[in-house]
Amino acid sequence: MQPDSIRTVVIAGGGIVAWSAAAALKRRIGSLRIAVVTCPVPANALADRAISTLPSIVGFHEDLGLTEADTVVRAESGLRVGTMFEGWSMGIPPYVHAYGSYGAPVSAVAFHQLWLRGADWGTPQSFDCFSPAAELGRLGRIASAASAGGPTPEIGYGLHLTLGRYHQLMRAYALHLGVAEQSCESLDVELRGEDGFIERLKFDDGSTIEGDLFVDCSGPDSLIRSKMGGEFADWSKWLPCDRLVVGEGAADSQAMMLDRVAATPAGWRWNSSSPSRSSRGVAYSSAHSSGEEALGQFGAAGADATDVTIRQGAWPEPWVRNCVAIGDAAAMLEPLEWANLHLAHSQIDRLISMMPGRDCATVELAEYNRQCTAEVERVRDFICMHYITAGRDEPFWKDAAEIDPPASLAHSLSLFADRGRLPYYEEETFSRDSWLAVLLGQGFRPRRTDPLADILTPEDAEREVARYGDFVRAFVAPQPNYTDYMSNLRQRSFQ
Amino acid sequence: MTDRQKVRVVIIGGGTAGWMTAGALTKLLPGRCSVHLVESEAIGIVGVGEATLPHIRAFNERLGIDEADFMATTRATFKLGIEFQGWGRAGESYIHPFGTFGSGKGTVEFHHYWNRRRQETGTVPPIGEYSMAVTMAYMNRFTRPDPDPDAIESTFNYAYQFDATLFAPYLRRIAEGLGARRTEGRVVDVELDGDSGDVRAVRLESGERIEGDLFIDCSGFVSLIIGKALDEPFEDWSHWLPCDRAVAMPCRTRTALTPYTSAIAMPAGWRWRIPLQHRTGNGYVYSSAFTSDDEARTGLVGAVEGEPIADPRVLKFKAGRRRSSWVRNCIAIGLSSGFLEPLESTSIYLIQAAITGLVELFPEPKVSPVDRNEFNRLIDMEYDRIRDFLILHYHATQRSESEFWDYVRTMRVPDTLHEKIELFRRRGRIVKYREGVFLDASWVAVYIGQGVIPEGHDMRADLPALRALTDGMDALRSEMRSKAERMPDHRAHIESYCPMAEAA
Repeated sequence: MQPDSIRTVVIAGGGIVAWSAAAALKRRIGSLRIAVVTCPVPANALADRAISTLPSIVGFHEDLGLTEADTVVRAESGLRVGTMFEGWSMGIPPYVHAYGSYGAPVSAVAFHQLWLRGADWGTPQSFDCFSPAAELGRLGRIASAASAGGPTPEIGYGLHLTLGRYHQLMRAYALHLGVAEQSCESLDVELRGEDGFIERLKFDDGSTIEGDLFVDCSGPDSLIRSKMGGEFADWSKWLPCDRLVVGEGAADSQAMMLDRVAATPAGWRWNSSSPSRSSRGVAYSSAHSSGEEALGQFGAAGADATDVTIRQGAWPEPWVRNCVAIGDAAAMLEPLEWANLHLAHSQIDRLISMMPGRDCATVELAEYNRQCTAEVERVRDFICMHYITAGRDEPFWKDAAEIDPPASLAHSLSLFADRGRLPYYEEETFSRDSWLAVLLGQGFRPRRTDPLADILTPEDAEREVARYGDFVRAFVAPQPNYTDYMSNLRQRSFQ
Repeated sequence: MTDRQKVRVVIIGGGTAGWMTAGALTKLLPGRCSVHLVESEAIGIVGVGEATLPHIRAFNERLGIDEADFMATTRATFKLGIEFQGWGRAGESYIHPFGTFGSGKGTVEFHHYWNRRRQETGTVPPIGEYSMAVTMAYMNRFTRPDPDPDAIESTFNYAYQFDATLFAPYLRRIAEGLGARRTEGRVVDVELDGDSGDVRAVRLESGERIEGDLFIDCSGFVSLIIGKALDEPFEDWSHWLPCDRAVAMPCRTRTALTPYTSAIAMPAGWRWRIPLQHRTGNGYVYSSAFTSDDEARTGLVGAVEGEPIADPRVLKFKAGRRRSSWVRNCIAIGLSSGFLEPLESTSIYLIQAAITGLVELFPEPKVSPVDRNEFNRLIDMEYDRIRDFLILHYHATQRSESEFWDYVRTMRVPDTLHEKIELFRRRGRIVKYREGVFLDASWVAVYIGQGVIPEGHDMRADLPALRALTDGMDALRSEMRSKAERMPDHRAHIESYCPMAEAA
C-alpha cells in the first residue's frame, strides 16, 4: 500500500445510498477501513426512497459481485424498461421513453432523420413504435428469446425496488464485507483549525469518530457538506416543482414494466407497480397549486402519503477538503426520469476511481468536481427539457414553456429545433435516443432534416423505416410475458 | 421530395485540404451542393510527405477508396505509431503507439499495475513492452488488427505514411468524377456583401467572377478569405510552441522500412523521419529565435541517412489558429484555419475533423448561426486538446543542453495542461474524454516515455498479489512477442499488398 493513502472512511447516512457507498468502497478497495454512521433518512431523500431506478444499477451490482438472484429475486425487485408519459402535450397520444435503441442507422444516417422524413410521405407510426424496449414495455414482455436473424436491439432494464428488502440486502452485504456500523440521532462536525479539514464527527451521546475521508450520504440536508462552506446553487428557476407527495403500498393487481407519469395542471403524478410493491406520487409547484389539490389526486390512498419540500439544485463543489457529498446530499433533483439513485451510483464509482491521497489535493478534487457537475447539470437539462417542450395551457405549463433554459440546454434545443441534431456533451447520463424519445414524443419537430439523409431516396427511406417497424413487431411477438418470466426466475434461483 | 435549392460551395485552394473537402462533399451530399474548386498551379502545396492518424481510414472508407489502390498510388507505408528519440532526455526513446497498453482486461488501466510493480520491486521493463503496436513496430512487422476483441492482436490500430503531393491529385480524380468543377486561376479579389458582410464572390486574375453561398478557405497559410478578407484574428500560440520554421529534404530509402514515423529531438527543435515506399521524408522543425536557417540546414544534412533527392528547402509558419474557423459564410479548413507543427501528425486529422463537422452540420444557402456555433464548439475542442498534447512533449523534458530546451522546459504552460500533468504525476490519473483525438493511452505513452512517472497508483491495482501480477505481465509480454514474430515483415507485406506502380 502507498504511504499517503486514505485508510479510514466515515460514511454518514442511513439509507440505500450510504450502504451502497460502503459496500462498493469496501469491495473494490479492500484496504479501506469503513464505518457507516446511520442517522434517520429524511422523507425527501429521493435516492434512498424512489423505487424506480435506471438500468445502470445492474452494472453497479455486477461490480459489487451481486447477482440477479440477490438483487431481483431475494430483494423482491421488479423490472422496468421505461416510462410512459401521458398528457404532456395536448392532443398528442402518450409516448414511451424506454431504455434502449430507437431504430437503427441506415447507411450512416441516424434513424430518426429517416423517420422525420416521413412528413414527405405521410407520417408513419409514432416514434416509440420503433423501439423494441418500448414495445416490450407496452405489452408487458421481457426480451429473452433470441431475435430471429435480425440485429440484437439494445434494451436496458432498471429495477423497481422493494425498499425495505433492498436496504437490508445492501446493509447485510456491507457488514459481511467488514464495514462497521454505528447509529446516531444527530451529529456535529468538528473542523481542524489549521486547514479546515474535518477532524471528527461528534454525536448526541457524546461519542466521536475520526477518519481520513468523510462521505456525506445524509440526503438533501447535506448534514456534513453544508458545514464546509460554499454556496448551494438553486435551480428552481429551471425546475418549477418544489413539493412532492409520496405514497407507497402493496402491489397492484397488475405489475407494470413502464411507470406512468401524467402531467397535471400544476406538475405531474406517477404511479408504478412491481410484483411486490406499488408507488404513487405527485410533484407540483406550490406557487401554482395547494397541497390539498395534490393530495386530492391520490384519492383514497392519500391518507398515508407524506407531503415534502424539495429544493432543487446542487453544490458546485460536492467535494471540499476531506468531505465528499454523494447523492441527494450533492445534488437534489425531482424524481422525473428517476435519476437520483443513478447519480449516487455514478458518484460512488467516480469516488472509487479518483480516490486521492490523504491530503485531498485541490487539483484532484477539482477534476472530480468538474465531472460531477457536468453530469448533474446534464440531468438537470434533460429534466428541464420535459417542461420547456411540453404543450399544455394551464398557467403552470405556460410559465414552464417560457423558462429561459441553461446555456447548455439552450444549445441542445436550438440545434435540435434547427436540424434534428443533438450535440455531444461529456458525462451525459441520458443517451441520444432518450433525448429523441422525449423530444419527438412531445411533438417537438425540427425545422428541417439532416442533408446527409438524402443519401437514401424517399422510397428507400420509407422502406427502411417500415422494415424496422416489422422487425420490432417480429422481435417482440415471441417474448415471454413479464409475470411468467419473473416466476421462472424465482424458481430457477431457488433450485 | 421537394426540390431544394443547392448550396453553391466555392473552395479556394487545391491542396490536400481542398481536394479532401471536394471529395467528401461531392460523395456525401450530392443533391445538396455544387462544388467549384479554384486552384492555381503556380502556387505550390505545402505537403512534404505526410504521416497520418488512424482516423484517416474512416475518411477513406466513407469515400469508397480502395486501400491497396490508395497506398500504391500515394506510395504509402503502414504506421503503428511515432517514435520519439531523445525527448525526455538524450539517449532515451519511446513509441507513442496507435493502440493500448496491456491486455485491456484489468479492472484499472494497465499503467497503474505497471507503476505498482515499479514501486514495489524497484524495477519494471519499459511500458512499451506491453503494447502490441510497440512490439510490432520495433520488430518491423505488420498485419491488420484482429477483429476479435478478445485477441491481443486487436489492441492496436494503424495509419499511413504517404506522399501528400500524390494524395491531392488522387482525391481530385474522385471529386471530378463525382461532378466537382475545377477552375485554374489565382484569386485576386474577394467581394463582400455591403449589408451582411458575407462573402458574395471571388474574382480571378483572368477577370472571371465566381459567386457562391458558402466559401471554403483552403488557401493555406495566406488565409485569403478568413484572414485577409474577413480579418478574423489569429491567436498566437508561439510562446508555447516556439518552432516557426522547417527545413525539408527527402532522401532515397536505403535503411529498413519502419512501420512508424520518427521524431528526433534536435538542439533547437526536432527532426522527422517518415519512410515511404520510394523515399524517406526528412525535415528539421526549429525555432528561428534559437538557431539560424544555415545552422538548421547543416544540422539536417548531417543527420539524414541515404542519398538526398532534392536540395533542402525552408518553410515558415507560426503556431496558433484563427479565433473561429467558421466566420459568416466562410469556413477555413487546413492551414488557413491554423497551424500546429507535425509532431503528432495532426494536420490531416484537423482537416478531416473540420470536414466531418461541415458534412454533419451542412448549412442551407443562408448560413444559420446555430450550425456555425456548433461547428466552432467542436473545432475549438479539437484544437485545444491537440495544443496541450503537443506542448506536453516539449515541457516534459529533462533536456538542458541548449537554450531552446531550457526555454520549453521552464515556460509557463496553459492551466488546462498544468492540471493534466499534476493529476498524472500524483496518481496516474488521465483526464478522460470520449470525443476527440488522443485518448488515455496516448497521454500515458508520452508522460511515461518522457519521465513523468506517477508518485502513486490507483488503489484498486493493489488487489492482485504481487507475484501473480508480475507473472501475468511477463506472460503478456511473451505472448505479444511471439504473436509479432509470426506476423509478416512490413516491407514484405507492402510488396505483396500495395506495391507502388513504378520506382521513383
